Amino acid sequence: MYITQGTFSYLPPLTDDQIKAQVKYCLDNGWAVSVEYTDDPHPRNFLWDMWGLPMFDMRDPAAILLEINRCREANPQKYVRVNAYDATLGRQTTALQYIVQRPDNEPGFRLERQEGHDRQIRYTLHPYSLDRPAGERYPK
Amino acid sequence: MQDLTVGYTAMTSMSKWARKNGMILHLHRAGHGTYTRQKSHGVSFRVISKWVRLLGVDHVHAGTVVGKLEGDPSMIAGYYDTLRQGFTETNLARGIYFDQDWASMPGVMPVASGGIHAGQAHELLHYLGEDVVLQFGGGTIGHPMGIEAGATANRVAVELMIQARNEGKDYLREGPDLLRKAAKWCAPLRAALDVWGDISFNYESTDTPDVLPTATPAQ
Repeated sequence: MYITQGTFSYLPPLTDDQIKAQVKYCLDNGWAVSVEYTDDPHPRNFLWDMWGLPMFDMRDPAAILLEINRCREANPQKYVRVNAYDATLGRQTTALQYIVQRPDNEPGFRLERQEGHDRQIRYTLHPYSLDRPAGERYPK
Repeated sequence: MQDLTVGYTAMTSMSKWARKNGMILHLHRAGHGTYTRQKSHGVSFRVISKWVRLLGVDHVHAGTVVGKLEGDPSMIAGYYDTLRQGFTETNLARGIYFDQDWASMPGVMPVASGGIHAGQAHELLHYLGEDVVLQFGGGTIGHPMGIEAGATANRVAVELMIQARNEGKDYLREGPDLLRKAAKWCAPLRAALDVWGDISFNYESTDTPDVLPTATPAQ
């Protein structure tokens, strides 16, 4: 299941030059760019693992691309995304967010149906990507 | 969701209820045409925009410029400014007659809807910017390949324009070309352009400005 989160996820995967062009746009707007990665693409998992701190002082798109590539090399089978945070008063939110890497195998989600009190039913999504033998999800 | 027809007092109560119960409050502006487009007596939609922002609505239909629901570009821009900006500067062409400081008053998200489709993505971005909810209704559900394909076509079209704009391209001019190129790899977009690509609504708007800028020689 091809995950479609963030901007540009309906377009073909971005090339390095395209990623850099978007980073440049973020920097020109004064947004803080950061890189994040995860193995859990659940739509409500919006806080992915941070690849270092947001690069508040970095003004060079090429240097940010270097960090993106370092994150991709270190996490070859994980999702990697770029965030741009707009700190302007009144906005104070993620202004642009796009996936720059995804694993070869994207297994998708299953629907969990939980029966509660009084025949109440609750539904939740479970990502198959988390179903791995105990201990295998985290670095040893 | 609420309508203007419930009355402003009820709208205020509903906004308080929505805050209390963690709901997003949508305002569908049915009925506004009876007074916002009446020049001799009536209330401009700029004023309605201001009221709904003050009474705590979360999104409101504020005109589309290119869809089946008419709208003059500069008037719509005035509504959008009133809904979104922290400080609205005097802009006679947009119908803003005095500076307005909104302090920390939260904005309202404008909604564009009514006859919009993937083939207009470049115009929508140009006229409305990115702080807007684009509601492609018939442009999604009426897609010949189904609703999911309709949604895909719209997302591809919008993302293409955002990408082009961010890369510094003249997306308004190159837009149709970018869409045609993308349609080569995206079958849903191709089908959407085949069905709706030529449809546009070109009639005179009744949301007319009261002030028109005239060119003056440079001082």
